[in-house]
Amino acid sequence: MTSVIETHKLCKWYGDVLGLNDVSLKIESGITGLLGPNGAGKSTLLKLITGQLKPNIGTIMVAGEKVRNNYSLFSKIGFCPEQDSFYEEMTGLQFISGLLRLNHYPFPEAQIRAKKALEIVELVDEEDRVLRSYSRGMRQRLKFAQAVAHDPEIIILDEPLNGIDPLAKRKLIRLIKDYRDKGKTIIVSSHVLPEIEAMTRRVILIHQGKIFAQGDIHYIRDLIDSHPHIISVKCSDPRGLAEKLIKEECILKINFGSSKGSLLIETNNRDRFFGVIPFLVVENDMEVYEITSPDDNLQAVFDYLIGK
Amino acid sequence: MCKKNKVGIQFFLQSINDVFCFFFDLGKRAKKTRIFYLISFLPVMMALLIKFLQPFYSNRNIEDPYIFSNMIMVFYLQFLILILSLFFGTSVCSEEIEGKTLIYLITRPISKASIIIGKYGAYMVLVILMTVIGVFLSFMILNINNLLDFSIYKVLLRDVSVLILGIICYSAFFTFIGTFIKRSILFGLIFSFGWENVIQYFPGSTQRFTIAHYLKSLLPSASSTRFSFLLFRLEPTSPRVAVLILIILTAIFLAIACLLFTVKDYILED
Repeated sequence: MTSVIETHKLCKWYGDVLGLNDVSLKIESGITGLLGPNGAGKSTLLKLITGQLKPNIGTIMVAGEKVRNNYSLFSKIGFCPEQDSFYEEMTGLQFISGLLRLNHYPFPEAQIRAKKALEIVELVDEEDRVLRSYSRGMRQRLKFAQAVAHDPEIIILDEPLNGIDPLAKRKLIRLIKDYRDKGKTIIVSSHVLPEIEAMTRRVILIHQGKIFAQGDIHYIRDLIDSHPHIISVKCSDPRGLAEKLIKEECILKINFGSSKGSLLIETNNRDRFFGVIPFLVVENDMEVYEITSPDDNLQAVFDYLIGK
Repeated sequence: MCKKNKVGIQFFLQSINDVFCFFFDLGKRAKKTRIFYLISFLPVMMALLIKFLQPFYSNRNIEDPYIFSNMIMVFYLQFLILILSLFFGTSVCSEEIEGKTLIYLITRPISKASIIIGKYGAYMVLVILMTVIGVFLSFMILNINNLLDFSIYKVLLRDVSVLILGIICYSAFFTFIGTFIKRSILFGLIFSFGWENVIQYFPGSTQRFTIAHYLKSLLPSASSTRFSFLLFRLEPTSPRVAVLILIILTAIFLAIACLLFTVKDYILED
C-alpha cells in the first residue's frame, strides 16, 4: 500500500523547547491513531502535517506533494483542531457555510454542504443558534463537521473526542469508521488508549517528541501487559479477598491500602484478573464498593515502557 | 505560462473575494463594530448639540460653519480614523491568533496573502462606512442652512476623500503591525497619539515621517481660516505627491504584512 502522508527526519523546536525530534513516518489510508500523553508532541506533529508550522529540519509530503504554503492541497485536507475556538458571533450554519466559501464553493452549494455536514453530526436543529450558546459537546461535533464538510481525502482530527458524552462519543467513533470505509485517510490523536482502540488497530505512540512505537495496537497492548498493573479494590472483607486472590497466578503482590477496606493489587495480567475477581466475590459473598486502576492512564503506561 | 499566470491571478482574486465576504459578514455582526459605530456617531451628537446651542451663542461669532467643520475634521482626522484603523487593522491578524481561529483559515485552499488582503479589505470598508456616515450626517447638520449651496458638497467630497485615504493607509500600517508584533494595540496607541500627533508639528522635513503630514497636505492651504488649527506649522507636500506617497506606503505595508504572515509561524498558546 502506498503511503498518503510521509515525514522524514522531522524536527521542530520552540526556542529551547523540543517539540518533535527525528520523526520519520509513513501513514497509509484508513485510520491511524496517534497516541501519547499530554505534551508528547501529537499536536505539533499534526500542525506540521497540515502546514501550520514549518519544520526546523526534515520534510513532509502529503499526497505526494509538499504541504507548507501549498494552498491547493488543502482542498484535500480536513482538519479538526484541538482548541475550543470559534467565531462566536456566527451561527452553526454560517460558520460551516462561511468556511466552505473559503473552499471556493458558491453560496448555494456551500449552504447545501453545510446543512449536510450539520446533519451528519446531528446539529441541524441547532443550525441557527449562535455558537457562543453551544455546549462543549456540540462545539466538538461542529469542529468535526467543518473538517468533513468539503469531503476531503485526508481527515486529521486532533483530540476529537474531548468533552463529548459517552453516547455522542460512540456516534462520532462510528462516523469516523464510516469515513474509513469510504477509503479516506484519517489520523486521530488522543491521550486515551481505549478511545483509539475503539477506532483502529494501527497506532503510533509518541512521547517527549519522539515516536516511541508504531504498529498494531495488540503489539502495544502486549508491551503494556508485560508490565505490572496496580488495581485498587475497596470491599467489605479485604483480608478474605486477599487470601483468595494470592492463590491466583496472575497476582504478583497485594498491599493493604491506607483507607479502610482497600487493597492494592499488583498483576501482570489484567484481563485474567478482571476475569477472576467477579467469581471470587460471588462465591465468597463479599461486597465490592469500587475497583479502580490508579496507573491506568497513558502517562503511567509510558513511564513503564521507558522504564522510569 | 501566461495562461497559468492568468489562472493563478484569477484564483488569488477569487480567494481575496471569498475572504472579504466572510469577514465583511462577520464584521457586520461583531460586538466591536457596534461599539465603534456608536463612537463614530459622537461627532453627529456634537453637531446636533452645537446646532441646538447655536442661537444662544450667535453674538460670540461661533456660528460660522467652518469652525464647526474644523472641529469635526480635527476629531475625525486626528482621533477617530486613527482609533478605528488601529483596532480594526491590528485585529486582521491578532484576533485570529488570540481567538485561536487562525487554524480555520490557514487550512483552507487560499493563500495567506489573500487572507490578509481580503480581511484588510473587509475591515477597511467597515471603517470607511462608519466614518463616512458620521461625517455626512455631521456635515448635513452643521450646514443645514446652506444645503442648497452646491459648493459645500465639493468640500464634503474632498474631506471625505482625505479621510478615506487616511483609513486606507493607517489600516494597512496597523495590519502590518498586527502581523509583526504581539502587543500591537499598545504600540499602535503610542504611534497614533505619540508619534503621529507630535512629529507632524515639527518644523522642517521631520514631519514628512508621519502619515498625517500627507493627509494634511491634501487640505486647503493654511491661509484659509479653515483647518487653521490642523495646519499649524505645516510645510505641505504637493497634493499629487502626497496621494502617491500614501498609495505607495499602503502597498508597502500590505506587502510586508502578507510576506510576514506567509513565512512566520504563529504559535497558538493554550
